[in-house]
Amino acid sequence: MNDLLQTDHLGKEYGSVRAVSDVSMSVAAGEFVAIMGRSGSGKTTLLHLLTGLESATSGRILFQGQDISQLDEDRLALWRREHVGLVFQSFHLIPTLSAVENAAFPLYPTTIPPGERGQRALARLEQVGLVHRADHRPGQLSGGEQQRVAIARALVNHPHLILADEPTGNLDSQTGAEIMNLFRKLNREEGVAVIIVTHDPDIAAVADRLIEMKDGSIVNHDSQAHGMLAQI
Amino acid sequence: MSLPYLLAELTRRPRRTLFAILSVASGVALFVSLQAYATGYREAARAPLAEIGADIAAQRQGEVPEAFDGIVFPHSTAPIHREEIEAVRRLPGVEAVGESVLFWDFESEQFLVVLGLDPSATSGPGRLRAAVTEGRFLAADERGVAAADVTFARERHLRVGDRVSIAGQPFTVVGLVDTSRAGQVANANLYVPLADARALSHEAPNVRAVHDFRADDANLLFIKANQAQIDGVTASVASLLGDEALVSSTRSFSQTLGEAYRLVDRFGWLVGLAGLGVAAAALLRAMSANLWERRRDIGVMRAVGWRRIDIVRQLASELIALALAGVGVGLAGAVVISFILSQTTVTVPVPWELSPTPHFLPGGAKSMAVTIHLPAQVSSQTAFIALGLALLGSAAVAIGLAGWAARIKPAEVLRSE
Repeated sequence: MNDLLQTDHLGKEYGSVRAVSDVSMSVAAGEFVAIMGRSGSGKTTLLHLLTGLESATSGRILFQGQDISQLDEDRLALWRREHVGLVFQSFHLIPTLSAVENAAFPLYPTTIPPGERGQRALARLEQVGLVHRADHRPGQLSGGEQQRVAIARALVNHPHLILADEPTGNLDSQTGAEIMNLFRKLNREEGVAVIIVTHDPDIAAVADRLIEMKDGSIVNHDSQAHGMLAQI
Repeated sequence: MSLPYLLAELTRRPRRTLFAILSVASGVALFVSLQAYATGYREAARAPLAEIGADIAAQRQGEVPEAFDGIVFPHSTAPIHREEIEAVRRLPGVEAVGESVLFWDFESEQFLVVLGLDPSATSGPGRLRAAVTEGRFLAADERGVAAADVTFARERHLRVGDRVSIAGQPFTVVGLVDTSRAGQVANANLYVPLADARALSHEAPNVRAVHDFRADDANLLFIKANQAQIDGVTASVASLLGDEALVSSTRSFSQTLGEAYRLVDRFGWLVGLAGLGVAAAALLRAMSANLWERRRDIGVMRAVGWRRIDIVRQLASELIALALAGVGVGLAGAVVISFILSQTTVTVPVPWELSPTPHFLPGGAKSMAVTIHLPAQVSSQTAFIALGLALLGSAAVAIGLAGWAARIKPAEVLRSE
């Protein structure tokens, strides 16, 4: 299988606390992976390491064969802009910007002309079914709508990989199911790899593969997710 | 820098924007208004001399006349000799020197204050030509003619073409001048050619009795000087004319304007700069509170691929835009304040020696003053200084805050509660 992302004995320590320990894993292009574990198991820290938002204290991360753990913060930012889309549990939209402006937000510091940015953002909003709310600000949107805007933002730079941290954690189960449907659809139709961190087995069941974490380490690499989206 | 994001932050956080703009605006308005106020007073202090086209009036105290009969010099206008006049002319910073001879003429039936002037001089009472109400002004190289003050002429029923007697010599009135239009300094009843005044004074027994007044001397000098060197020229002239010198300049009028002016003149810059400092502190407070609220947004910027320099540019642009808006509002406020200030009047007392009337004559003991509207105006120089300081301050605040913001660890601020 063609590895998109690979970690090699990855570790993260905060003083004497070992948050992530000796994690070696790989994610193939177009794969849908869920990282599951209880609160405090290190899954969010692992996600932050994979996105370069935090630096590892040991090990390395290879993306398309390139060791991104050697990049400085600005190069990591550029790498994220080019290859990665991020989705957070609390959506983290910019409150002063409209939905379309939020969706275009990663493109603001680029040289892409404003008109093209807007078109790309609108196209992504259409893809997540929210083009009719393009001019609304986050405060005027429901939780599910905000998460759709966040997904549109994650998609606007045509990423190879989407990393989502508890993307349904702040949503009711019905809306959560819709969001997971959306991830699944994007994964299948666009071929974008998805890594979702969750503590919810029903959410994790949507993934192709399940990685289970406990006390900062991976305890099960290859659990086959067998739940069906329709059952969520 | 993203303009849509900048505009969104400015317009969709109206309280923060308003507070920041008003903070800067109040500092700028205070700074600029105080300078306009101080400059207005400084201009007002120039008014008495500016009205006759001079920056400095120089004269010298001398002996009191032995007898008040015929032509005598007031004791504040002793002779200034030719070599002294030439020395004044050569002083660095002196641009022009107007010479005059002022004397009193005590006759059995009349008393006259007469001023001899050079009609061609660009500084000094020669500027009275602009105040002619009837007839004409004195011409260069003319002799035996006089221009009469309109009030004096009315009292004496004088008309253009009439003859008046000065120390027994006839002078033809060629014009009437409204002296009040030209200010209070060096006012006289009659204005005659300088050569006539010199000749009459040179021959006057009661002048000769106490003064060595030579045929080419003067007793009043009106000096036009380089504005930047007025204080130096004033000191040099005083030094040249000796211990008895009476040298009036803008500064000497300033000293008569009272405590309020002195405070503004001395502390205006300090208070204005303090105002700008307080404004910068308020801006810093508003923006740091704002950035603290927005630290998660800044984390999002990093997470979605903004480099540090992108964040610094964006936040610094916001701050500078706020500062520019604040300067604009502050300058507009200063213009309004200056307009209100310019509606007030200021009275500048004129020292007796600059327009001497014997105290024993009616009106002689009356104090004179020039009353004008305070010329308080926002100068472009002060506006640019305020703009520069505000931009400098906001740039310093911007670099500090944006630098701090760019160092925010996204992982720390983006973790879900």
